Amino acid sequence: MLQARKAGSQATTVSIEIQNVEKRYPATGNGPGTHALRNVSLSVSKGEVVVIIGPSGSGKSTLLRTINALETVDGGSIMVDGVSVTDKATNLPAFRTRVGMVFQHFNLFLHMTAFRNVVLPPIAVKGVSKADAEAAANKYLARVGMLDRAHAYPAQLSGGQQQRIAIARALAMEPQVMLFDEATSALDPEAVGGVLDLMRELAGEGMTMVVVTHEMSFAREVADRVVFMDAGAIVETSTPEEIFQNAKSERTQKFLSLVGSA
Amino acid sequence: MSHSVDIFLAVLPALFSGFIETLKLALAGIVWGSVLGVGLGTLRGQYVRIATPIIGGYLHILRGTPFLVQLYIIYFVLPNTGWPLLQFDSWTAATIGLGIYTSSYVTEIVSGAIRAIPRGQWEAAFALGFTRLKTLRLIILPQSIGLMLPSLGGVYVTLIKATSIVSVVGIAELMRQAEIQIVRFPGDILFIYAIAGALYFVFCFPVLILVGKLEKRATRGLQVRV
Repeated sequence: MLQARKAGSQATTVSIEIQNVEKRYPATGNGPGTHALRNVSLSVSKGEVVVIIGPSGSGKSTLLRTINALETVDGGSIMVDGVSVTDKATNLPAFRTRVGMVFQHFNLFLHMTAFRNVVLPPIAVKGVSKADAEAAANKYLARVGMLDRAHAYPAQLSGGQQQRIAIARALAMEPQVMLFDEATSALDPEAVGGVLDLMRELAGEGMTMVVVTHEMSFAREVADRVVFMDAGAIVETSTPEEIFQNAKSERTQKFLSLVGSA
Repeated sequence: MSHSVDIFLAVLPALFSGFIETLKLALAGIVWGSVLGVGLGTLRGQYVRIATPIIGGYLHILRGTPFLVQLYIIYFVLPNTGWPLLQFDSWTAATIGLGIYTSSYVTEIVSGAIRAIPRGQWEAAFALGFTRLKTLRLIILPQSIGLMLPSLGGVYVTLIKATSIVSVVGIAELMRQAEIQIVRFPGDILFIYAIAGALYFVFCFPVLILVGKLEKRATRGLQVRV
């Protein structure tokens, strides 16, 4: 299955085009400003899985969050499926329905059951009928293996269960692209494997994915390309084989030896 | 004993009409205060650039001055400006006074409750394509209500009791009626005040119970056993 996907992802259609993006956080009373993204350019093809790795504070999450405009940029441009994210005239809510996002802390709506979490967004945002939304919710909750816990509130669910439901919620919007922002960092070791398997399956089905993670084995096995970031800049972009066995930059080599995957 | 019953029956019609007046004043105050307070509090809770400092000023002025002074200004001072728009009868003045006084507390409660909702709830909604308004209506406010209700109950009860002050602009509410009855029966001052107090309690107590019940409903699913 993995092989089939890799062959399929040769398609040249570009999904995400990030060009020369700059992001600065201004200095506050608490500390100096930071230059969070320095001239970052990255393009992601349709069906491609790009995994971004790098030390904490290197700008991985910031870069991911600029893709659906949860962060604004100070320079450069970002296009997703032909829509300019960085153009002020873009209708962001309409655009964001096409980009699913999974957060480190799940961010399920706490006052709703798991089922309602998955049903509400298509109804409220896309105007899908209740019956269709419920059918889709059942399908995607079954897909992530959470149908039996559908009527529990987030507070009654474990981290791993919540993250699966968050993935179902994002999928129910039928996005073109999925962004994963350290989706397994807040999970216990046992739950990590299950969520990673789910992401692996999604990748296998040809979903375009940008994944920020500290799971080097996931990067190695699932990524079409691995991006190494440090201090707000992309240091190196290459195939997993190249990055993990043959990194060009000394900074990349040092990072990988520290995380024990070189 | 029969003396007490006689007095009770003699003062009850007047006190009851005062009670109704108090009820109407309190309801007007609650409605206006809540409408204004929820609106302003929702803005303030999101740090809207120009609105936040202006609303902050409004709150400081209202909460830093006694209600009695505000009421005097609305009823006695504003009409002196001569503007036809600022000529209030005592009922209107009392309602406006109670409404804006209540709104100052409601605003702070609402904005605090909105700010207490984790940022991730906003981000998740935005990432799914919710507009700011939909996020507020479907995600943020429903979660904030459980946080607001206990404090709102306190404010509403304070307001009910504060209606006794508007007797100074000539409204015959419960407290004013009690004073009139005391002039009639000077020997039973404690008894008459006790009846008035009991009537206030009869009003306030159900409000607190109701708010408690609503809070339980609003926080369904959010309660975590610790």
